[in-house]
Amino acid sequence: MSSSESPPEVATPVAEAVTAASFWRVFISTFATIFLAELGDKTQVTTLLISAQAESPWVVFVGAAAALVATSLIGVWLGQWLARRVSPQTLNTMAGTLLLAITLWLLWDIAHL
Amino acid sequence: MDWNLLFLSFSAVFISELGDKSQLAAIALGGQSKVPQAVFLGTAAALILTSLLGVLLGEGTAQLLPERLVKGIAAVGFALLAIKLLWPAGD
Repeated sequence: MSSSESPPEVATPVAEAVTAASFWRVFISTFATIFLAELGDKTQVTTLLISAQAESPWVVFVGAAAALVATSLIGVWLGQWLARRVSPQTLNTMAGTLLLAITLWLLWDIAHL
Repeated sequence: MDWNLLFLSFSAVFISELGDKSQLAAIALGGQSKVPQAVFLGTAAALILTSLLGVLLGEGTAQLLPERLVKGIAAVGFALLAIKLLWPAGD
């Protein structure tokens, strides 16, 4: 059934409140899942640091943190770039399948711990 | 400021994180979200905090936390996100 597009309503304060709430919901769910998934994985940063223990561990940490911000930014950009190229349904299916793949990857990790 | 050490750690971590779970999650979540900034900040904050913990606790992290349980909860988390996308309950 083709419902006519409702006129684009002006960004009312209610809409702003909704986006703020959804911002925090998405932030927390993303933070929680990735934090747990990555918690055990940070061995390579630790080993990097142990090798640099004598000199300046914080320089190593700043470099690592910058790299992590860069890869996250590239990931989100790539996702947004894709979002402009495929229909929302395809995007959702792709995103869902990718997340399922990550789930399987985590289960594989667990099986091999 | 030891620049080549900074560049070394940046490139080592950057290369090891390329195509890692967190980046794939950032692509998937970042693409379909109406608030991609939240996805970026959530991902970056989680990664920096985990590597900070890795730095502070050093080798200790591996013994301290029950990795199977932690990764199990993460797997459930990702599965829920996937299901929400693949079979939206019309929310």
